[in-house]
Amino acid sequence: MKKCRFEGLIDGYLLNKLSERDKEAFEEHYFNCSSCFQKLQERDIIIRTVKNNPDLFEQKEPARSSVMANLRREVASFFTPKQLALAGVTAALFVAIIFVVVPRPEGPAPVFLLTDEEAIRGSSITLISPVIDMYQIPTSFEWKKLGEDIEYQVAIYNSELLWKTNTKENRITLPDDIKAKMVPGEKYSWQVKAFGSDGSLIAVSSRVQFTIAAQ
Amino acid sequence: MPTKKVDEDIRELVVRYRPIITFRVRKALGASNTDCEDLVSEIISQVLEKIKTGEFRGESSLGTFVYTISSRRIVDYIREKTKIMKYAPEPLPFPDPQETLETQETANKVRKALSKLKPKYRDIIYLYYYQELNREEVAAKLGISTRKVSELVNYALKLIRNEIKK
Repeated sequence: MKKCRFEGLIDGYLLNKLSERDKEAFEEHYFNCSSCFQKLQERDIIIRTVKNNPDLFEQKEPARSSVMANLRREVASFFTPKQLALAGVTAALFVAIIFVVVPRPEGPAPVFLLTDEEAIRGSSITLISPVIDMYQIPTSFEWKKLGEDIEYQVAIYNSELLWKTNTKENRITLPDDIKAKMVPGEKYSWQVKAFGSDGSLIAVSSRVQFTIAAQ
Repeated sequence: MPTKKVDEDIRELVVRYRPIITFRVRKALGASNTDCEDLVSEIISQVLEKIKTGEFRGESSLGTFVYTISSRRIVDYIREKTKIMKYAPEPLPFPDPQETLETQETANKVRKALSKLKPKYRDIIYLYYYQELNREEVAAKLGISTRKVSELVNYALKLIRNEIKK
C-alpha cells in the first residue's frame, strides 16, 4: 500500500511540534483522508498511553538499563552456570568463616570521653521516673546508676531551665521551693548528664517530657 | 425516492465525519472540556444546514468543507470563552484515553504491548514519545544514526499495532 505523504506529520501534530501552517494543512488533510485519520487515532491512543504510564518506563532509563544489561550479559558469557553457582557457594563460605569461625576478640568496650559542648546521639543513661504523665508534682527523680565515682547533673525544664543540680546518687529529691514553681497542667522535661572523676562528660540521657495532670 | 436518498447521504455523512470532527474539537479544546459534545453536534447541524441550503457547491471536497466549518466554529468558541474567561481554555495536553470502551480496550492493549517490548524498543518509545526528544536528540543520546532511530520507532509502533489487532 502506498504511504500517504502526510503520514510523516502525525507525530508532529500530536506532539504539537508542527508550524501553524503545517498543522492546518494536516488538519484539512485528515478530514479528507480516512487512512491518515485512522492512523492518527491509533497513534493518539499510543502516545496518550505512553504519556499516562511513566511507570512502564521506570527503572528503564536507557543508559542505565543498557549498562546493567551489558554487565549481566558479560557476566553470563564469562561464567558458565556451574561456575556461577560455585562462585556463589565460595562467597557464602567466605562470609561464614569471617563471621562465625574466626573468634572475635573479647575486651572492654572503648570509652569515649566527650566535652560538655559536644553533641551526643542517643542516650546512655536510662531515666526511671518520672517518664510518664504524673497525677501530682513528682517529689523525686530517679535514673539508672552508671557506675562508681560518677557525678550526675540533673536539669529540669519547663519552657526554660527550672532547676539544675549535681549529685553522686542516682536519684534526687525535689526541694520545696522548686516544687512550688511546678504547676499542674504544665509540661516539663528533664535530663541527666554523667561526668567522670576528672570532670569529663561520659554520658547524656535523652530529654524526657512529662505533664502534671490538671487537678 | 429522492428523500430516502438524501436521508441516507445525511446518515453516511454523520457516520463518516462525526469521529473526525470530534477528534479535531477535542484536540483544540481538550478532551475533558464538557462543551466538546455540544460543539460537535452544532458543527454537524451547521454542515447539514449549509448542504440543504445549497451553500456547499462542490468547489472544494466535502472533507475540506466540513473542516472549514469545524475550524470556524472552534475559533468562535475560543473567542467567546476568551471574552468571558480573559484567557482561552487550556486543553489538557494528554488526557487519559478512556472516552469510550473501545478506546479503553485499545489503551489496555497498548499498555500490554509496551510492557512486552524489548528494552531497545521501549527506550526509543520513552525518549521519542514520552520525553518528546526529536530524532536527532534520540540518536545522539543512544549513539545511533537518525535513520536507525526512525527504523526502531517504526518497528516499535508495528509491534504495538500487532498487539492492538489481536
